[in-house]
Amino acid sequence: MEKDTAVNVTGVTKRFDEVLAVNNLSLRINAGSVFGLLGPNGAGKTTTLRMILRIMVPDEGSIEMLGRPLTESSQDRIGYLPEERGLYTRMKVREVLLFLAGLKGLDDHEAGRRVDEWLERLELNQWAASKVIDLSKGMQQKVQFIAAVVHRPPVLILDEPFTALDPVNAGIIKDIMLDLRQKGTTIILSTHRMEQVEMMCDSICLINKGESVLDGELAAIKRSYGKNTVRLEYEGDAGFLDQPELVAAVNHFGAVTEVRLRPNADAQELLKAAVVRGVRINRFELVEPPLNDIFIQKVAGVAHA
Amino acid sequence: MHKFWLVMKREYVTRVRTKGFIFSTIIVPVLTVGILVLQIVTATRQAGRTLNIAVLDEDGSLADSVIKGLDGKLNNGQPEFHIVQTLERPPAGTEENLRTQVLNGQLDAFLVLPAKITGGKDSAEYHTRNPGEVTISSELSHAVSDAVIAQRLHARGVDVRDVAQVVEEVDLKVIKVGTHGETEEKGQTIVIGIVVAMLLYTTLIIYGVATMRAVMEEKTTRVIEILVASTRPFYLLAGKILGVAAVGLTQYAIWVTVGALVTVYGAAMASIVHAGAFPALHLSGLMLGSTLIFFFAGYLLYASLYAAVGAMVSSDQEAQQAQMPVTMLVVAAVVLFNIILRDPNSPTSVALSMVPFFAPILMLLRIALQTPPLWQIALCLAILGLTTAGLVLLAARIYRVGILMYGKRPSLAELAKWVKYT
Repeated sequence: MEKDTAVNVTGVTKRFDEVLAVNNLSLRINAGSVFGLLGPNGAGKTTTLRMILRIMVPDEGSIEMLGRPLTESSQDRIGYLPEERGLYTRMKVREVLLFLAGLKGLDDHEAGRRVDEWLERLELNQWAASKVIDLSKGMQQKVQFIAAVVHRPPVLILDEPFTALDPVNAGIIKDIMLDLRQKGTTIILSTHRMEQVEMMCDSICLINKGESVLDGELAAIKRSYGKNTVRLEYEGDAGFLDQPELVAAVNHFGAVTEVRLRPNADAQELLKAAVVRGVRINRFELVEPPLNDIFIQKVAGVAHA
Repeated sequence: MHKFWLVMKREYVTRVRTKGFIFSTIIVPVLTVGILVLQIVTATRQAGRTLNIAVLDEDGSLADSVIKGLDGKLNNGQPEFHIVQTLERPPAGTEENLRTQVLNGQLDAFLVLPAKITGGKDSAEYHTRNPGEVTISSELSHAVSDAVIAQRLHARGVDVRDVAQVVEEVDLKVIKVGTHGETEEKGQTIVIGIVVAMLLYTTLIIYGVATMRAVMEEKTTRVIEILVASTRPFYLLAGKILGVAAVGLTQYAIWVTVGALVTVYGAAMASIVHAGAFPALHLSGLMLGSTLIFFFAGYLLYASLYAAVGAMVSSDQEAQQAQMPVTMLVVAAVVLFNIILRDPNSPTSVALSMVPFFAPILMLLRIALQTPPLWQIALCLAILGLTTAGLVLLAARIYRVGILMYGKRPSLAELAKWVKYT
């Protein structure tokens, strides 16, 4: 069991002056899984990632990667796509990648071979000799993605990997992520896009104000909330939703409306009310709550406490 | 350690390949030589053509000997003055007539020698449209004075040639006493000192600021986040500073090589055409070695300060302000130049040259002027070395924290906290 843990964060605390950025945080990330690190802005995600990357040292607690405490050489076994993209804008694409691959411990020959392979795979080979600044944002992001994976790291940290990508390129990157995972790479995904988390992550940790407020397997978390949400499509007066004793929250998406029920409320009562008022029901589905709702509920709940 | 080399290599290669490097490597010597040549040319001879002048001699006894004195030659071998006409004891209205000729271009100028001039009661007049030509008027003044003096002496029965021998001035040669023997001083010591110190001043600022910009570039483009996730901040800082230093040394090497070639070539050409000694500024080995050492030490000191500034700012405007104190230190060294020039060995000079921030420029100037005792150079280098080491470590601590901080520039109190962070 211990062997299968890729990253193990134990009781980590990090302070900047009087600000507590991360407070006694523990994470266990299984090898070969996709792990979602979620949280509102300023929750301490970046600080946590930076400590795993050994950019910063925790004040308290310890971090192990692949069963060993972090050392200088662990930086060679981790790949990083930061949220704020950054490349030397006036260097040529291939040269930037060779330099960054070298910094990850690849020798010149091996770096050259792999960089060319990746440029080909991401359809960037005709841009290899162009300056980074002449590339579109999406292409720059693909270059940055190559820099994160070129040294085949067993652990890969991706911070908002899909922003600035069109659907086609986002699909290409997603397929590569799944392929890497298939080959045993552990992926830590940090994003605000909950639908991506729901589609890709095996486990998540939601942090707020430097503390873990929710963590575990995504499926188990959702199951624990039960099927307390009704996904509705209807025609007619929305008045039947105005039942405080039944309904905790209503989310309108246009065509679809999601209704979160109060604990122990019976969905049947809601349906009855709709029928009585002559509302035409096209869809009435009892589902587990979307992660988005869980996120808002957890974060807002803590904030109000 | 390998990663340190990678960082340094990238810094060096990308910099040496820029147009800016190639341009500055070529343009600086071209400008320097150009200015020197221009000064030499303008100093030696101004007029470019023969001047047509008339001489108006009211007394009628001076014109011949004055004209004999106006025998200067232009660079192209043509005479400097062409005497169009000589008017002795002219009728009234002649001057008016000559003035018209000057105005309509028939004459360039005319010279008036009043009758009472030998008695010392009057002055000669040079009427010209272009009174700004200093060399011309001084030549005229000499010719007229010589003629008048000769006439006065003649009137007293003294031979002019005797007088010339009697009043011949004695030359004073200035000879510099050094440990390697004596060399005749013709101003080259001061020139070498100032040239080398100014070179150091410019390169310290240029490469110091280049280091600051390099740090800022990685911070503002956010590459730094990937870099620190790959290697130690200290390697990044050291690689950057030494990479830029290598660029500076490359530039020096090119200049020294080209300079040496030009000197050798020039000397060879001069000996062939017998045009006199080529004005070679001979750089001694001590001077060359000191320049390299002090450039390197001074650069390390200032580059680490500039790098720290680069790490704490997030924008160009902030950098402009934050770099001022550092730049002022370099400028202060140049302001203190005169104290050293006046007396390189006075207690003030010695003390100032020991201050690590001034030492690279001021100690070098002292070495150029009058080689100080060895212990002073050694002490100076020791102080400079220790300060530099301390500042590099301090800069590394600021750098490590600063590169990941965006937003407001830190106050001094915040900086102190950064230094203490683990």
